[in-house]
Amino acid sequence: AGGGNDIQWCFSQVKGAVDDDVAEADIISTVEFNHSGELLATGDKGGRVVIFQQEQENKTQSHSRGEYNVYSTFQSHEPEFDYLKSLEIEEKINKIRWLPQKNAAQFLLSTNDKTIKLWKISERDKRPEGYNLKEEDGRYRDPTTVTTLRVPVFRPMDLMVEASPRRIFANAHTYHINSISINSDYETYLSADDLRINLWHLEITDRSFNIVDIKPANMEELTEVITAAEFHPNSCSTFVYSSSKGTIRLCDMRASALCDRHSKLFEEPEDPSNRSFFSEIISSISDVKFSHSGRYMMTRDYLSVKIWDLNMENRPVETYQVHEYLRSKLCSLYENDCIFDKFECCWNGLDRQVQLFSLIVMTGSYNNFFRMFDRNTKRDITLEASRENNKPRTVLKPRKVCASGKRKKDEISVDSLDFNKKILHTAWHPKENIIAVATTNNLYIFQDKMN
Amino acid sequence: MLGRGLKRKLSDYEENMAGLSSAFDSSRSLPYPLKRQLVLNMCLTKLQTYKMLVEPNLHRSVLIANTVRQIQEEMRQESNQQPVNICPGIASSSHSYTGMESSAISLQLPSGISQQESNCCDLRSVEDPIENSLLIVSDDDMSSAISSILKDLDFVEDISPPTCLVPTGDDQPKFPENAGLKLEDDRQDLKGAECVFGSFEISNSTSYLKDLAIDDIFEDIDTSMYDSDFCCPPLMPPRSPSLATEEPLKNFPSCNSSSASNIQICRTDLSELDHIMEILVGS
Repeated sequence: AGGGNDIQWCFSQVKGAVDDDVAEADIISTVEFNHSGELLATGDKGGRVVIFQQEQENKTQSHSRGEYNVYSTFQSHEPEFDYLKSLEIEEKINKIRWLPQKNAAQFLLSTNDKTIKLWKISERDKRPEGYNLKEEDGRYRDPTTVTTLRVPVFRPMDLMVEASPRRIFANAHTYHINSISINSDYETYLSADDLRINLWHLEITDRSFNIVDIKPANMEELTEVITAAEFHPNSCSTFVYSSSKGTIRLCDMRASALCDRHSKLFEEPEDPSNRSFFSEIISSISDVKFSHSGRYMMTRDYLSVKIWDLNMENRPVETYQVHEYLRSKLCSLYENDCIFDKFECCWNGLDRQVQLFSLIVMTGSYNNFFRMFDRNTKRDITLEASRENNKPRTVLKPRKVCASGKRKKDEISVDSLDFNKKILHTAWHPKENIIAVATTNNLYIFQDKMN
Repeated sequence: MLGRGLKRKLSDYEENMAGLSSAFDSSRSLPYPLKRQLVLNMCLTKLQTYKMLVEPNLHRSVLIANTVRQIQEEMRQESNQQPVNICPGIASSSHSYTGMESSAISLQLPSGISQQESNCCDLRSVEDPIENSLLIVSDDDMSSAISSILKDLDFVEDISPPTCLVPTGDDQPKFPENAGLKLEDDRQDLKGAECVFGSFEISNSTSYLKDLAIDDIFEDIDTSMYDSDFCCPPLMPPRSPSLATEEPLKNFPSCNSSSASNIQICRTDLSELDHIMEILVGS
């Protein structure tokens, strides 16, 4: 990685249905590793959460890391009907965020458009046996038949993983929730919708603080919406939110209760040579992620990924073009609504060689392609998530899109890209070079080739 | 059930829009005003479609509305400047945009459009069919389209309290209680409104005036002497006379009633009062 050797990615696993006919409910809408990387959660359009657990590493088989197998599946959100407004509330899971582990149980926050839920996932692998008044099947014994007494003992049982909702944070958002972010104090979190951001305490469900409100008095004056928000990884009073106009605002909650005035405003002046009717639309930021240290943050707009230094507001320090060849296709992409696709981005985890974080950026594209950019070497790579590369430990072949002119062998021309196959959600294991890439309804897991 | 004819027309429309968009993308020879018109029409079509949805996507609506505004502004600036010699054929027609009616248009895209030279006049043969299909939109229509979309988005009942009944400024936390229903917020709003206007009432300082009856206020002021000749009886029995005159005063009838029969008594009273006054004054 950062040390000099590029990572060689190999196919590891794929989860999900094989057939091309995609059931709407199976569309994956979010992917997230937990803090240790042992658990990998996905949310889908049907409101379900599926958690995969990594097998314990087999020390003898050092050439592969543990596989991910289904650990727990539960229905997080149900479709609702708001009778007052005559509106259906979609059960689609927009975001999942894990809490750091404090005890034997695992906790995660999952949210749909309106309601956030705190789920506890706990294991049960023992059960008490040997009651005096009850039979093993639960029937009560006749007390007169009891002649001796014994102490019930715990005996092993088949592992059972239970998910239970511990808190439900509802009725605080008029508009659709697009982000949740847990604070570094691990006690509070924020939730953001199109026009407002609320601050919650994890223990309190009937109250939240409104910390950002950009709704104008007259809705006809609305020109900008909130698209993503995240807490700073180390400073518990700092957060950022991005907008549909390509700006990022950094706010400090100590400055005022309602953070309508930003502490910093990050915006890059427009390149006049690239100006088009669609300039504003493609500048809309779809994701924002702080680097591990909090010194940098990364934003994703329609065509590029930008790295910002928090100390410099007037332009990003690095810009990476994800699929610049689409710039000449913007009208068609606007016509078929692809221009509104919200791609996410993520940082690499810990780089063991260099013992550094935040050196590689990953994000998705069309035709089931995804891209990685190495900040040190400035090299980038395009890979494909497809069942055709099914052989484990075979290094993935890099892909190339031919923008114009003569198409070389193994290249794909822009016009043959499948815009229905989009990779919007990707995640990187926090400590290993293992990545999870979601196509429409399948989850691919890739690992770097060891030894 | 869509009739077959109508269905064919709609898919024709979609195909033609796709064809136009790719023409936009691939052709360097499409004149700028035409491109702009195409984008504008696409925007307005989308906005109209969203308007028919129960819950339009706010993010997309705002982005599209901004694009329309941008084009609108550009066209306005152009019309303010000296008239530019734009290609004939793109004259402003009297058509006004009628939204979904555009789906009934059938287009005939010349096949060789992407290979046309970038010469305005050469495109005349190409423009006309395109121009016929692209309806020119009036400023008012655009503005009203945007306004109505955004206004509709505000129909969503807002559960957070409105900003500032009390000047919150920067030092008061906002507590959107999760009441859920706007009804409760309405009640709170009303209460809040009352509080705001309550401070403007003078009730606090002058309440004692309101509480008293007029009679009580003037209780100890005897104005009988200044009353008219027809004489209203004094409102209250005068209390000020000294002990020396108490006896004759007792003869005065109770002054509570104001009936006409008391007028006679009043006259008697007055003369006796004069008499008493003379004694008092010592004249």
